This record gives sequence, C-alpha cells and structure tokens, in this order.
Amino acid sequence: MVDEVMRSTQRPEVIDATLAALDPDRDRPPSVMEVDSLTLRFGEKTILSDVSVAFPRGTVTALIGPTGSGKSTFLRTLNRMNDRVSGFRHDGDVTLDGVSVWAPHQDLLSVRRRVGMLFQRPNPFPMSIRDNVVAGVKAHGIAKGRQLDVVAETRLREVGLWDAVKDRLGESPFRLSGGQQQLLCLARALAVGPEMLLLDEPTSSLDPGSTESVENLMRQLTPALTLIVVTHNLGQARRVSQSTILFYDGRLIEHGATSELFDAPRDPRTQRYVNGLMG
Amino acid sequence: MAFRTASVVALGFVVGPALWLIVGVIARAVPHWRWNVLTTVPLGNGGGLENALLGTLVIMAGVLVLAGTVGVLAGIHFAELARPKRNGRAGSSSLRVASEVLSGFPSIVLGYVGYVALCVGLHWGFSLLPALLILSLMVVPYIAKSTESALRQVPTSYREGADALGMATGYALRKVVIRSAMPGIVTGVLIALSIAGGETAPLLYTAGITNSLPSSALVHQPIAYLTYYVWTDYNQPSAQAHNLSYDAALILIVLVLILLVSARVIVYRTQRHSESRR
Repeated sequence: MVDEVMRSTQRPEVIDATLAALDPDRDRPPSVMEVDSLTLRFGEKTILSDVSVAFPRGTVTALIGPTGSGKSTFLRTLNRMNDRVSGFRHDGDVTLDGVSVWAPHQDLLSVRRRVGMLFQRPNPFPMSIRDNVVAGVKAHGIAKGRQLDVVAETRLREVGLWDAVKDRLGESPFRLSGGQQQLLCLARALAVGPEMLLLDEPTSSLDPGSTESVENLMRQLTPALTLIVVTHNLGQARRVSQSTILFYDGRLIEHGATSELFDAPRDPRTQRYVNGLMG
Repeated sequence: MAFRTASVVALGFVVGPALWLIVGVIARAVPHWRWNVLTTVPLGNGGGLENALLGTLVIMAGVLVLAGTVGVLAGIHFAELARPKRNGRAGSSSLRVASEVLSGFPSIVLGYVGYVALCVGLHWGFSLLPALLILSLMVVPYIAKSTESALRQVPTSYREGADALGMATGYALRKVVIRSAMPGIVTGVLIALSIAGGETAPLLYTAGITNSLPSSALVHQPIAYLTYYVWTDYNQPSAQAHNLSYDAALILIVLVLILLVSARVIVYRTQRHSESRR
C-alpha cells in the first residue's frame, strides 16, 4: 500500500499537480501588480503618461531612465506614497492582486504593509536597532512581547546583519555604517511580511561592498517576493533583474527581458540610454 | 575675522548679564542665608518664604498640566493636522492668528483681563484658578510655537519611512514623529514654565497675596508667590526685608536652573538614539 502511494507520487504529472495544489499563490493572478494606462499629474504638470505594465509574481523588475523621467514617481505611486503630494491626480489604475489600490474598500495601511519600500538614503527611525526592526510589526500588531525579539533576530539574520549588531541591539542605529543602516531598513521592511518590495535607488548612497550585499539579498528574496527596483546603475539592473523597463519623459519606452533590452533594444532611445550616450 | 569678533562680543552681551545677575543675587543672598527661610512663613518684616515657595511650585505645576497639555496639543495641531494639503505652505487658520495675537499681549493686560473677568466677573476673588488660567493663557502660544517648530524639524524621511511601513498617521505621529521632536517640545514647555514661574504682573491681579500656605482651594483663597516678595520686600525700609527679597530671588533662580538642567537631562535621555548623536 505504502509502496503503491510512493510509486504513484513519483510520477511527474502527480508531482506537478501536487505542487500546484500546494502553491499558496495558486488562486491568484499571475501578476502580483498590474498598472493599467496610468497617467499622473501634479497640478498642471503631467509626470507620467499612459503607463501600462504587469509585474509577474516572484520576479525582479528594474526601472531605468534618465533623471526626471518619472521612474521614482511611478514607483512611489504603486504604494500610494504620492497621494498626499499637492495637486496629485491620476487616471488609469494600479491593481494589487486584481484589486485597485485606490478602491474605496482597499485599506491603505494594508496596501503599504503588503507593498514595502526601501529608500535611496537609509532612514532608520530614532530608536534602538531592535525597535527599528520591529517598528512596523508593532504598528500592525503582528507580534508582541517576547515574540518581537524573535522577529528582530530572524529578520536581522535574514539580511545578514545579526552578527554585526547582536551585542548592541539597544543602541542607536545611526552608529552603523550606511550600508548596515540600509540593511536594517530592509529588515524593517521585511518584518511586516510584504509581498512586494519597491526599492528606490537602494544602493546609490552605498559603497561597493554594501551594494553587493544588498544585491545578493535581492536575488535571495525572489521568488518569495516581487521586487521593483529603480536604479541608475545599469550594471545593477543587469545583475539583479529579469525584466527591465525604460522610462523616458514620463513614458514607458520599452519593457522586456533584461538581457534583450540591454543587448538588442528595439527603441533607439533605449539603445542610446543603455549604451551610455544619454544621461 | 571681523565676523568672528562680532559674534564673540555678542556672546559676551548674552553671557555677561546672565553671570552678573546670578553672581549678584548669590553674593547678596548667600551671606545671610538661613535654611528656615524654606520652612517658615513671613512674620512682620522677617520670617520665611515657605508660603511663596510652595505657592510658586503649585502655580508652576498647574501651568505644566494646563498650558503643557493645551500648548503641546495646539502645536501638534498646527504642525501636523492644520497643514494644508494643497500648496504645502503653513496655513493661517484663525487659531494660529489667535495664538499669535495672544503671544503679543502684555502680561499685565492679561492679568487685568483675568481680574475683571474671573476674579470679579465670576466672583472667584484672588485665588489659584484665575492665576493658573491667565498664566497658562500667557504661555500657551509659546509652547504651541516651540512644539510646532520642533515637529516641523523632524526629517521627512522618518515620516516617509513610517508611511511606507503602513503605520497609521496617528500611530506614526506618536511613535516616530513626536518621539524625535521630544527634546524641542520638552525644552519649550520647561522654558514656558520658568517664564510662568518668574511672572509677577498677571499674578498681582489674579492670585492676590497671603501669608498662609497654599490650600487645596482653587477659588476664594489667595495664594503667595516668590516674585511678589522680590519686589515688595526690596521696597521695605528694613534690612531684614531686603534679605528676604534676595532670598526670594535666589530661590527663583535655583528653581529656573533646576528646570533648565532637567530639560537638558530629558533631552539627553530621549535622544539616545538620535541621528545627531552617533
């Protein structure tokens, strides 16, 4: 009987079916986030025009483009960080698991919990290292008391910071190096259990060593998470992403597999940008 | 170089008078200092200042509770809640205008208003409650202003970080924003307290004066305060009274110094994890 079961479960179609049934994301759309003809204005100024793109679950997408091309604004729209900017108006939609992030019944706080963010400059809070990691966890009531210490240790280990800070969890985060501060912010973002992470030039203020650890982490975080990273570092886009999007003047110019976009760009502007002929 | 010289001279103008004042009061008060000044009430031209010391402490505590609460909440309102969303500039809500007008009022006018409206109008007489209300009215704009500017100096990156984690606005305000503005808020409140403790004019009109110790009565019972004796006893034609006047000044200065030192200690303790202290 046991043998029979063992044999039957070794058949590929059974294994695939079993795996598919076990996949926690099986009932969800293949794209965790979809942007549908998004046009965005601050007052009279149009920042983004008619951007449509889907972010497949468990992938890293790089957003590249010259300064002022709208890629950071685009990123900050995805977790509604732009809502409070004066004159913010939008047409089109951004959906998270098929539900608009602006839907009336959509809870902004839970959108932001599910879509985490890492900023250009590390921004730890003025509290101890441990309290920084669990700040979001406490805010959402995910854990409390002794559990918080476990969360802190787990997340600090996850980002590879534990050994460096385990003896000074009660100390100020501002004594850490810039790279360590950024990893701490990453631990803080991961602690609330997001499905996506938006990274806004996460390594532009870091030294090469810290940049490498952040990039390694980005690779490890997929496919559990979906990552979107804005970067001016084309090498980084090549190293970490599966697909790349070029923004130019508020428009999505080209979107494709990273290797294709870099090696065989279709649009002349993409060609000039990836070859360093355009800032 | 000229700039450097000028700033050293300016510094001298600030530090000089302060030192002169402190040293002058100490030199006149300490030689005849007796500790029972703190434990006896005035008697004729002599006696002690226990009534005034306790009265001033009660008044300061009352102002801390009343003006501290109202002022800090008003400051939070100005900095966080009344912030207009459209143009990003500081709004000129009627509340802000009222606060600014209030801070420009001479304290003796406030005292007179208190006397007419509260002591006479409401038949409260010279007592603690009108004194508290008027002193609080006087320092609330100051506390609100210092709280507001402390909150405005909180880096945007803290607010963005809190937003991005999905913290509710009120929660982020309490746990992140106010926490990092705490030194400015505390300093503002304590300086306001020392202003209140050093006031005379509004108290002359509202608190009255008495030789007995403060009671639990909020109204119908005058209350003593130190600044009264600094002025009144100095104008008495007796050395004993002069001594009491200097004693009162010394006690006031010590109280203010204690407040300032506590402000520094609180700032130090709340800022263990701040960006400016690495």
